[in-house]
Amino acid sequence: MKEKKKNKTMAKIYKYRGFYLMFLPVFVFAIIFFYAPMLGIRYAFTNYNGIREPAFTRLENFQRMFSMQNFWSAFWNTIQISIIKLLLTTAFAVIVSILLNEIANLLFKKVVQTIIYLPHFMSWVVTASIFSLILSPSSSGLVNTLLVNMGVLDSNNMIYFLGNSKWWRPAYYIINLWKETGWQTVIFMATLAGINTDLYEAAAIDGAGRWGKMWYITFPQLRNTILTVIILNLAKVMNLFESAFVLQNDAVLNVSNVLETYIYYQSFNSGAIPNYGYTTAVGLFKSLVGCVLVLVCNQWSKKVREGRGIV
Amino acid sequence: MKKKVVSLLLATTMVVSLVGCGGGSDSSTTEPAADAGTEAPAADAGTETEAAADAGTETEAAADVEKPEEITIMVDGTVFTEENGRDQFIAKLEELTGIKINVIQPDHDAYYDVVGQQIASGDWPDVLILASTQMSSYGSEGVLWDMADAWNNSELKKRQEAFNGAGVVESMFIDGHLYGMPAAHGNGCVTYVKQKWLDDAGITTLPTNFDEYYDMLLKLKEAEGVDYVVAASGFLNAEAPFINYLPEFYQDAWPSFYQKDDGTWADGFAEDSMKAAMERLAQGVKDGVLDPESTSYATSDVRNKFYDDSLGVFTYWAGTWASNIKNNCENNGLDGTMAVLEPIAEVGEYIDRVSPAWCITTACENPEGVFKYFIEAMQDGGDVQFLWTYGVEGTHWSTAAETLYADTDDPKTYAEGEFHMLDNLETPGSQYTKAHIDPMLALTELADDPRETTVAPEALEAQDLFNTHSVGAFVIPSTDAMNQYNGDLMTEKQSLVTKVALGEMTVDEAYAEYESGGYADMSQQIVDSLNAQ
Repeated sequence: MKEKKKNKTMAKIYKYRGFYLMFLPVFVFAIIFFYAPMLGIRYAFTNYNGIREPAFTRLENFQRMFSMQNFWSAFWNTIQISIIKLLLTTAFAVIVSILLNEIANLLFKKVVQTIIYLPHFMSWVVTASIFSLILSPSSSGLVNTLLVNMGVLDSNNMIYFLGNSKWWRPAYYIINLWKETGWQTVIFMATLAGINTDLYEAAAIDGAGRWGKMWYITFPQLRNTILTVIILNLAKVMNLFESAFVLQNDAVLNVSNVLETYIYYQSFNSGAIPNYGYTTAVGLFKSLVGCVLVLVCNQWSKKVREGRGIV
Repeated sequence: MKKKVVSLLLATTMVVSLVGCGGGSDSSTTEPAADAGTEAPAADAGTETEAAADAGTETEAAADVEKPEEITIMVDGTVFTEENGRDQFIAKLEELTGIKINVIQPDHDAYYDVVGQQIASGDWPDVLILASTQMSSYGSEGVLWDMADAWNNSELKKRQEAFNGAGVVESMFIDGHLYGMPAAHGNGCVTYVKQKWLDDAGITTLPTNFDEYYDMLLKLKEAEGVDYVVAASGFLNAEAPFINYLPEFYQDAWPSFYQKDDGTWADGFAEDSMKAAMERLAQGVKDGVLDPESTSYATSDVRNKFYDDSLGVFTYWAGTWASNIKNNCENNGLDGTMAVLEPIAEVGEYIDRVSPAWCITTACENPEGVFKYFIEAMQDGGDVQFLWTYGVEGTHWSTAAETLYADTDDPKTYAEGEFHMLDNLETPGSQYTKAHIDPMLALTELADDPRETTVAPEALEAQDLFNTHSVGAFVIPSTDAMNQYNGDLMTEKQSLVTKVALGEMTVDEAYAEYESGGYADMSQQIVDSLNAQ
């Protein structure tokens, strides 16, 4: 029986050998670039500076990591910043999508869509430069100048939005909204375009106004997409570097330092030779948390998407 | 069948492309090509270079040292970049030394990141430029070849001693080891004040103490109606000498480790002088004289603000930078006249940083040969030193009769045979001032040095002032505790200094956080490790 099954499998493989051959490069690629680098995980259990042979230290790096105040600060910053950013961006994307959907003039709609997509294609370095200028606590800073002219602020008491622990995160979220909301609307616009117009007609016959149609038809139709987008992105919350790195400075590290920037500073800020064992341990911890989030999100996804997970 | 053939072709293409990816060469590595006008490496390895021979550096002992045929060097932006005629420079260097030279030159701002990656990869260059901190770290880990004996027995040492340059090298010894050879004095920063701003504020006497300095800042702010008067790239730098961009505010404070008179080590961050410095920074920001955005500025940002007249006081490198500052201000239609401050009484002396050094790695197969024919030749007092000081004739300098900037308000005409630097290839409109070695900072005498005709008076003035009023910095040795904790510690120090400067916390709160976060303990462990050496 077993022999028969094996022959059947081999026969199938032979039959589809062309496809297997096509799969081979992908397999090799995955091994070389995804799985082979995972061998580096072993450094998390060593002291390794890239010069001497790695010295096995058991869980010393993890003990040190969990005892470091900066590590925990970076960990919670990562979670908070990522999740709030995700929720805000998704909410704004939904609102903007619905507003765009209400625009009757097709040309105007496309122009608006294009304009709000554009910031997504701008690099974070350029974005940071632009907003540093806009938020500058000087007479060349647009926001501070406006506030001074409106009488809200004194010219000698301008707010350094990107250099103040209280203001950095709100500024960061707004910059993210400006940059990413447009791009996120793509998926919601696609869903909105797919809503059966009969539903709106039926609602109109039943006496529903614009608000009623939006509340009883548009939102329920979007619900699954919203949840899917949130769940898919929730799995990636630990991956936060570029946007935080280019906008942070020494004054706001307590609220802006995330795990990936923490690893960066550990590697390059001391002038001394970094312990790659320690930074690998931090990276491994980050990956494990990310992995748990993916599995949790997969379970949620199965519930929301009627049995279809994300992995 | 057709499907099979297509799938086979696709698969083969992808596999080949994958293999190809792995086989690619580093794009930042240049192989000086024959078509760039390079001369083939000398076949007779072991022969003396023309330049060295001219300078009379040949000794019997050295004659036994074999000349390397080919070396790989890793350099930062202080060596001509590709845009600035690196190929021509390397070609000429190969011609003079008879050594084939491969160059790895990462972006200047990311240089030490890439050095770290290069060392960790195990693919070490033969020679690389390192700052004092990295030299100390890599030296202690066995990455760098100890060139103490080679230097002690060299003609180079004699030439440096004859030119008062040997002291710079001696200050770089770490526990009897010499891991790198400086090409010049370290140099440091002096404070430039725009003369026009001083005149506008009616200031006729330059400040000599902090009260006068601070009063000057307030008067300049009022007279010019600007947001801020002075800025720096960061309130506290992560790299030594940490405080050289704001010396008047830091004065005698030192935020890192230093050796006391009794020979023991201490962390200056915990001392009262540092607390007082933080108070001064906070007051400066509060009074609107010190730009709060200093925390996010790169040095280029501060330079540009100074050039566009947003700032009137700027602490920056002495010497040739005095000319650059003047020229850039004038290019923006400003008066380029600068007053250079002597260090105020509380500062005492400006800091002469430890010079970046040329190091030979232990991966180099012939370190004695590289020392003699590459590093020593760099300061041979002849053609090779001339090349490292002024660059390549026709590319960076010339003696031909010509007029530069003829279509501007300030044309420069040179007679036949008159030495002059040429227009910058990367930023046309400004002349080159030097190559790698600053002529004003050389450690050995250069024969037929045209510096008197090429160095601008303002550069000489700033350099002379600095040389008269500076004290040498020191190398901090590396320890395991330093490697383990200094990253966190430096990040926290920078964060606390900045928060105090920006008024987010008081000095007392900052030091309470320093204690409670365990940073004082880390500092103590590093101090203990330094004292145990």
